[in-house]
Amino acid sequence: MSIASVKNLTVQYGPFTALDDFSCEIPEGCTGLLGPNGAGKTTLLKTLLGFVNPKSGSATVLDRDIRTQGKQIRQLIGLMPEQDCHIPGMTAVGFVAYAGELAGMPAPQALRRAHEVLEYCGLGEARYRNVETYSTGMKQRIKLAQALVHGPKLLLLDEPTNGLDPRGREEMLTLIRSVSHGRGVNVIVSSHVLPDIERVCDRVVVVMKGKLRMAGTIRDLKAIEGQPADVELREASPEFVRYLEQEGLLVTPTRPNTYRISTDRSPEAMTQMVFRAAQATHAQVRGFQIAERTLEEIFMEAIETA
Amino acid sequence: MIVMDSVSRWYGQVIGVNDVSYQIGPGVTALLGMNGAGKSTLMRLITGQVRPTTGSITVFGEEPFANPGVFERVGYCPEIDNFYEYMSGREFVYTMARMNGMNDATAKARAGEMMERVNMGHALDRKIAGYSKGMRQRVKLAQAMVHNPDVILLDEPLNGLDPVGRREFMGYLGEFSAQGKTIIVSSHILFEVEQMTRSIMLLNRGRLLAAGDVRTIREYLDRYPHRIRIETPQPRELASRLIALPYVLKVDLDEWSQAIELQTRELNQFYEVLPQLVLNENIPIRGVTSPDNNLESIFKYLIEA
Amino acid sequence: MSTVPNGGPIADLSYRGYDGPLESPRMRWWVIARQGIQLALKRKGLWAVMIGSAWYYLVMLIVLFFVQQVLSANPMGEAPMAAFMKRLVWKDQFLHGFSYAQLPLLAVTIMLGSGAIANDNRSKALMVYLSKPADKTDYLLGKWIGIALPIWLTLLVPTVMFYGYGALTFRQYGFISDDPWLFPKLMAVLPLAALMHSSLMLGVSSLFDQGRVAGATYAGIYFLTNFFTVLMGAAWNSSRGEAPAFVKTLYYGSLDGLLIGSFKAIMGTSGTPPFGIQAPRAIAIEPPPIVLVLGIVLGLCVISLGLAWRKIRAVEVVGG
Repeated sequence: MSIASVKNLTVQYGPFTALDDFSCEIPEGCTGLLGPNGAGKTTLLKTLLGFVNPKSGSATVLDRDIRTQGKQIRQLIGLMPEQDCHIPGMTAVGFVAYAGELAGMPAPQALRRAHEVLEYCGLGEARYRNVETYSTGMKQRIKLAQALVHGPKLLLLDEPTNGLDPRGREEMLTLIRSVSHGRGVNVIVSSHVLPDIERVCDRVVVVMKGKLRMAGTIRDLKAIEGQPADVELREASPEFVRYLEQEGLLVTPTRPNTYRISTDRSPEAMTQMVFRAAQATHAQVRGFQIAERTLEEIFMEAIETA
Repeated sequence: MIVMDSVSRWYGQVIGVNDVSYQIGPGVTALLGMNGAGKSTLMRLITGQVRPTTGSITVFGEEPFANPGVFERVGYCPEIDNFYEYMSGREFVYTMARMNGMNDATAKARAGEMMERVNMGHALDRKIAGYSKGMRQRVKLAQAMVHNPDVILLDEPLNGLDPVGRREFMGYLGEFSAQGKTIIVSSHILFEVEQMTRSIMLLNRGRLLAAGDVRTIREYLDRYPHRIRIETPQPRELASRLIALPYVLKVDLDEWSQAIELQTRELNQFYEVLPQLVLNENIPIRGVTSPDNNLESIFKYLIEA
Repeated sequence: MSTVPNGGPIADLSYRGYDGPLESPRMRWWVIARQGIQLALKRKGLWAVMIGSAWYYLVMLIVLFFVQQVLSANPMGEAPMAAFMKRLVWKDQFLHGFSYAQLPLLAVTIMLGSGAIANDNRSKALMVYLSKPADKTDYLLGKWIGIALPIWLTLLVPTVMFYGYGALTFRQYGFISDDPWLFPKLMAVLPLAALMHSSLMLGVSSLFDQGRVAGATYAGIYFLTNFFTVLMGAAWNSSRGEAPAFVKTLYYGSLDGLLIGSFKAIMGTSGTPPFGIQAPRAIAIEPPPIVLVLGIVLGLCVISLGLAWRKIRAVEVVGG
């Protein structure tokens, strides 16, 4: 089942075309939204929220038309905005409960649910304090909580780890991952921090110059044909390379002390070859894994073929 | 170039940095720490915006506080995003250049040059109010470098940049580093910091927790033995073999992911034995990785301690 | 036998969705209004000012009580009492009640509304509102009602209570018969004050980032225009009614003046001295033309709300 379906959508702001005949399907699960600044990513998010008036084309989010059912869409979506935002003069509980009421929950339900969601987001006693006294990490959690309070089917996260230190980043990513896997909540993460996307998402959509550049599961996109292996030695060893090449394997140096090795023989045979070579040439293998493209490589490639 | 000798700075009762001693030389040094650890205070001490409460800090042998001689040789790219919005990018960098003591002609030329350098040639004369986040970051970098300083401090410089911009920025820093400049970068995105440098300074609650080469620091953390993850379709067999080795301290069996994770302090010995396991004992292996040999793990270990 | 839901002894407290009841989106503005009112009513100072705005009615009640109980009990007091009652124009009591409530009403408005949009500007609250199924009209309407409703009630409650007291006690003195349309006209004019103050305050609030500055600006407008009309009033009085007509109209050229002028115009009175005292040398200033004053009030409301709307319209929820 598709969460969002965009068909030939064109969105213009005056003379500027933000989305140009854009089509994509976003399935269930956790999807990362990537793209250079000004590429149309922001416009796509606004579209998914039901805020734009497209020039042509159509789009549905959770089976609701974006042109006519914007409010209904926002009923089913939770947005965690990038910028710092809160309602002045409220405690965390009050704020999240208010957000729930704005989403249509009756007041007692909203308060009960606010407590539940704040607990889940890791805010203990601090929830009774004024939001204005909060640190960056806590503010991000509140933004997540107010997005979750009305139990949305789709969660839109815009730069969720902005300003968080390494521990806060880890905790936020764990939180996102646990909500998106196995809880029936679909997630779209828009971020420039590619390691975060890799950690949390199963799929990516790359947008550039208003068009869809690439879409697919991260696993598929990362796979390299022929399944070469990246081997890291303790020290560079030309003898090691020679040994393998004599056996008919292709060896390419990549990073210092690291080689990419490919062959059309089976992976098991390759593994045996590599360790035999290491033993024979007294090289020490410190790392061995199936080579994958990094998300960054995938991204760069996607936007370069423009 | 930058020498810190038991330098401390506090604000009322709140500690900024507490008794930090270290020397920073040319190349890229990463300044790391949780929010509130003292990174910004340290930057302010180096750029001479505040004076140490106790101890001393010298840049090029002089005290940086209110010292134009030092200011001319130090560039600062802060985290906050405050500009004169009505100015164009070029005007802003020009103004900053003039404030650094350049005369009119040099400032104009350098401003234009720097903006080109950071790929802002196409938007030179547009008002800053109309710039995107990434463009604002680049203007900040341009003004930090316009007077060709020997020391550049950057506070979260990659914030708001898209992956292309990040790559480019890290490229600029590499260039400056190659020119012999001292670059201090503060960032929370450890994955990227790792790609920029191996030299770090870790602050925690104002104190200097660790400083130096990442690899060396890892060696010293022997409370945390090295972890090695091996993927294999026969995890149990491999585990039973490994447990027999005297220097293997612990083996975690993860049948579901078809992997084992072992801990050892004797990396060399283990890696020497690994080919034997693969070839003689005939245990198929799909991957060998060191999960905690990265900056993020080291950071976690140090902070937790 | 007690049982734990989902079967086992240990409850599953991980995240779950919300399947409960939901309200219709049509009343979303009321949630916003209620929030604003609740937040404001927490301040004790606001209650004090709201009650204090009815001070004229309180004083009049004491005066009337005195006149009734003391004067009428004394046979010598019959005549002064009758004269007093004859002098008293009931609708003018409401005029005075209304007029003397203007300054406290300014305080109520500022307390309720100076930060209404200003604080939200600073904390970017609108992004939260807009990401929910609440749109910009809900927001503006909610904020507006959150200010207008309390202002209206501040005026309404004392007026109705005084009217009730008067209708019950002074019927024989012509309370009802003097002006049978008094009550409906009052009901028509009181909301005007709520309307104007609420709209203007919102408009001013939307221009700033800080509630305090917005409040100070609004107070500034009030007092400056007030000062101007005091001058006009002095000019009129000193010329003993000979000055040109526009001076008389300009006398109503301030925030409270517009409201008082509307009141006079709708009620059809030029005012008599307050508290039933005698002041033969005072010159009553007629109300301005009703169309003019109502037109200006409504015009100001539209302009202010337009300003607020313009500010709100520019907010984008995603990206910057």
